[in-house]
Amino acid sequence: MTAATIFIVLGLVALILTIYLAKGHLSKGGDLEKLAIQLRPVDIGAFCNLISASEQEYLREHLPPREFRSIHRERMGAAVEYVRCAAHNASILMRLGEAACQHSDISVQEAGEKLLENGLRLRLYAIQVIPRLYVSMAFPQAGPTPDLLADTYDNMSRQVVTLNCLHFPTHGMSSAL
Amino acid sequence: MLFTSYYLWIAPHILLGAFLICLLRRRLQRQLPIFVGYVVFELVQFIVLFTIFLHTPYHPATYKWALVTGEGIDSILELGVIYELANELLLSRSALGLVLRPTLQAILALLLLGAAIGSGAFSGISVERVTNIFEMIDFSSNLIEAGMVLALFIFARALRVSWHSWIAGVALGFGVSASIALISAALRAEWGKRAFGAADLTLMAGFHVCVIIWLVSLFLSDRTPPFPDGKLKVSDLELWDQELQRMVQR
Repeated sequence: MTAATIFIVLGLVALILTIYLAKGHLSKGGDLEKLAIQLRPVDIGAFCNLISASEQEYLREHLPPREFRSIHRERMGAAVEYVRCAAHNASILMRLGEAACQHSDISVQEAGEKLLENGLRLRLYAIQVIPRLYVSMAFPQAGPTPDLLADTYDNMSRQVVTLNCLHFPTHGMSSAL
Repeated sequence: MLFTSYYLWIAPHILLGAFLICLLRRRLQRQLPIFVGYVVFELVQFIVLFTIFLHTPYHPATYKWALVTGEGIDSILELGVIYELANELLLSRSALGLVLRPTLQAILALLLLGAAIGSGAFSGISVERVTNIFEMIDFSSNLIEAGMVLALFIFARALRVSWHSWIAGVALGFGVSASIALISAALRAEWGKRAFGAADLTLMAGFHVCVIIWLVSLFLSDRTPPFPDGKLKVSDLELWDQELQRMVQR
């Protein structure tokens, strides 16, 4: 295969991927009320328990190795689901933040910006944490995952409540979190 | 064939002029100033090249050097626009800037390496030095542009960052045009002079599509749905109260 053929293929792949990825950006955004229904409940306490180092240590000490590995895999699988739900909720709350940024009231704008910033941070953490959870699933001896994600999600929930307090209609999003 | 060539050379620039007028009327130049500079330069370059082309007697050497010089400046401006788009999308947000800046720099370094390898492979397309210089600049800038735009779209999708529709349109236009130009440059390298005509038409068609995307995206409404100023209901108040209580208990 010549260099030219390689670059023709690369150009075609780039063209198709760019058009595919840009499709979502050019389409009109959905209704925020409908998005609120898509929020999934996330129990931060349960998530913290799943990724707790002390909990992992306790199970390791009290269970036979084979059983520990099996249970650890299940726990990490559940943690991945929690992270996915939190990241999904973050993307919805970011839309709420974007809408709040357009509000005439400066305090609502500021709360919206904070929400947007935390949403981005959470999605970034999710991208980093999910592979680590899978590594932990495959190698239970690996170190525990940080609970930074739980803190960020908690911060986001607080900001939605703040937005509510600032007379910004959040369509019951805070109750769904 | 001649009509198609003229159409693909002139029509996109007329549309580009219309796009610039719309952009300035809406006062959007402050959002992407380098991009506006690029559009203005593109129009000036077209006028200069067209004037040289119509001038009698026609000097091919003058035309080619003007084209190469223009392509060089164009490439620098395009890189500036990519930086502007990256900044608008990701780097201006403090949460992402720290993590994504080195990632984007690494991608840029890889693309530069690819461009250097590709330029080396395509360095002998023509016996004319000026054509070779043009091909290398054209290929390198398009590879970097297509790669960076694709990387930006991938990050935006992964992080669910939404762009204002016209900025996404600018990025899409650049991505489409650069990808087609990359294919066109590779075609010229593979088949030499035989493919110059067809490859040039492909390149011009790509730019035409790009300008149409820019124009259409300018007229698309913003993606963020407007939120009405609504008065609070008692049920909402109760929900906040519950939420606050839940957080206090934690």
